[in-house]
Amino acid sequence: MTNPVQPDEWLKRLEARSRAKQETFMDGIAAKLGRERVRTRPKHPFRGAPDFWKEFQLPIEDRIRQFTANFEAAGGHVVRVKNRAEASTFIVDKASEMSAGSILINDEVELSTLNLASSLPDAIVRSWNEDQDENWRAVASRSDIGIVMADYAAAYTGSLVVTSSPAKGRSVSLLPTVLMAIVPVDRMVTRLGEILVRFDEAGREQLPAGIHFISGPSRSADIENDLTIGVHGPGIVFAILVDDDSDA
Amino acid sequence: MSAAEKGQTVKERARDALGNDFLRSAVRFTTERLRLGKKLAAEEHGNWDDWRERGRQIRLHTIAHLDYYLNEFAENARANGAHVHFADTAEEAVAISLEIAKHASAKSVVKSKSMVSEELHLNQALDSIGVEAIETDLGEYIIQLANETPSHIIIPAIHKNRHQIAGLLSREAGEDLPADTAVLAGFVRTKLREKFLAADIGMTGCNFAIAETGSMVLFENEGNARMVTTVPKTQITLMGMERIIPSWSDLEVMATLLPRSATGQKLTVYMSGITGPRREQDADGPDQMHIIIIDNGRSLQLGDPEFQELLNCIRCGACLNACPVYRHIGGHAYGGTYSGPIGAVLTPALKKNVAEWDDIANASSLCGACYEACPVKIPLHDMLVYLRRRKVEAGRGNKAETLGMKGFSVVMGNAKRYRNVVRLGKLGQKLVVRNGEIRARIGPLKGWNTYRVTPELPKDSFRDRWSKVEQELYSESAPMNPEVADRLSKLMDQRKNGGHGQ
Ligand code: SF4
Repeated sequence: MTNPVQPDEWLKRLEARSRAKQETFMDGIAAKLGRERVRTRPKHPFRGAPDFWKEFQLPIEDRIRQFTANFEAAGGHVVRVKNRAEASTFIVDKASEMSAGSILINDEVELSTLNLASSLPDAIVRSWNEDQDENWRAVASRSDIGIVMADYAAAYTGSLVVTSSPAKGRSVSLLPTVLMAIVPVDRMVTRLGEILVRFDEAGREQLPAGIHFISGPSRSADIENDLTIGVHGPGIVFAILVDDDSDA
Repeated sequence: MSAAEKGQTVKERARDALGNDFLRSAVRFTTERLRLGKKLAAEEHGNWDDWRERGRQIRLHTIAHLDYYLNEFAENARANGAHVHFADTAEEAVAISLEIAKHASAKSVVKSKSMVSEELHLNQALDSIGVEAIETDLGEYIIQLANETPSHIIIPAIHKNRHQIAGLLSREAGEDLPADTAVLAGFVRTKLREKFLAADIGMTGCNFAIAETGSMVLFENEGNARMVTTVPKTQITLMGMERIIPSWSDLEVMATLLPRSATGQKLTVYMSGITGPRREQDADGPDQMHIIIIDNGRSLQLGDPEFQELLNCIRCGACLNACPVYRHIGGHAYGGTYSGPIGAVLTPALKKNVAEWDDIANASSLCGACYEACPVKIPLHDMLVYLRRRKVEAGRGNKAETLGMKGFSVVMGNAKRYRNVVRLGKLGQKLVVRNGEIRARIGPLKGWNTYRVTPELPKDSFRDRWSKVEQELYSESAPMNPEVADRLSKLMDQRKNGGHGQ
């Protein structure tokens, strides 16, 4: 892995230019709006969804039902299992059924305890970023199945959320042909807003580089309006809902 | 180069479009599908007008304080490690992009759909310094191979049938590909994968930029925008200066309005929030991220009471699908980057060039369907009237039309900002209506009448009118290709079952 390019002279020049321009740009906007620059945070009386919506909450079983209906309507697959052992069995069965030759998993404890490598001796199972010198984007692109933990899920829109970190590649949920996402049911909320507000609360410095909401298989619809699946991202997507995600 | 720049008028371009039967039925099918999808999604979600109003308020508030929020965004994006640039004009934005490309020693750029980049004619500029620009949305890729321009904001290649597409892709593949969607899609996947992995730069637009965290948000179904922001080492985001929203909480409102209005989906397959380049220990994502904030005529709308709300537009395309005129003539007739009702207003507004675009505002029936469809309640139909008035004031209208406009300005003088455009439309129409049809070449509907008999504007309000327009659309004369109709009904069934569009 290479380190990010250190700002060189050229970037410093660009930045100086940009900072100077920023002032005239903002002054110009204020002038057009016919007032002085606004320099303190304005009161924003309409922040977020309408109030009635912020109270909307479904009980967990309804959430699961709604998530399942939405995710399946979008062309995704949903299975519900009791615990991690069952999740592992499901993944191993599917991988064998599809004759998966290469599997890429995010480097998370929950996923390593699935013991996929020993259960699938014929497949190459690799963990994201386990070797700093590897070109992980290319590995992901060659992989048949990518496996991730979902950070959150939203029932109302049927969406999974995955966030990036050194151990969690953005490519793992994107480049392989098949995506399997494990969703502990206690990570499932009713509305998008319940998840989004956490990013406001966390604040800029805590945000990961990539936050991705995924609501089904990759779809394009441009050949005579005929639906085409998986032109770019995974064409087959499983959400594996786990009731009890504890270690035992 | 767009048709408009080749010196054709809207009338000529529309005549071309009307002569193409496939285009007509494809546009009709697609717009109908999207329009109904939107309607169902809005109904299913419920309280749609409350959401529209909330969306409008958030956009109004942000634009009214744009200097604050844009500045906040720029500071936060820098703190995240992104390089922020400001461009007053298209030329400046192009110059910055080329400078970045040169410093990255780029040979190729992979792009995901961005209206802004079309505004800039960036592909040609990159080509001029020997950098290959590859459009990676399936539809955009197809029309790029055909060397054409998009005909719809959401579905750019609706004017191409599968045989034409197979022909284009076969040329690219160097072998004959069958006109089979799965085969064609498979070819594109393999081909574009190579391009993604080889590209030096990824380039995207930006649906929303979040001021408080300096993040940018992309909505898409295909995943190519994710590829573009994940795989190449350098990333460039082109962003209209008005794309700002204050917070992630506000994103919930936009995420509720945009996909439902665009395609009837509850959410696009992917919604991505990107906050800066990759962190030092991350193994993917760009090393270097540039955000180019572009004015290019947008600030002309600021402080203009008649047009400022144009900046609220979230580019969903709902007004296109709702517009009876667009449904008849398709996107190419409008000539600019933006088509349909939003294009009819935005194109001349961005260029502040009434002369070049003076006929485009006439390509509308002023029925108000665009306003009814708009998720942030932009009064496009009012704006079309303002535009015509300005054109007459600028001495660009002909005599007969100036006469027609007198009626408008009298009312304008009495009520500073008139709300009911249909009422005004009727003033200009009185003289020319016979048997409920407008046949004379006079008044705001001139031009349009020369090739189509337009139904008389109603005497009732456009809210009443709206339901009539709906009936009219269902009983429209040109028969739909049975194959197309079949696909439509299948899609409608699917939607009934799931509520997910497209
Ligand atoms: S004007 Fe309104 S309906 Fe038209 S594209 Fe913009 S937001 Fe959508």
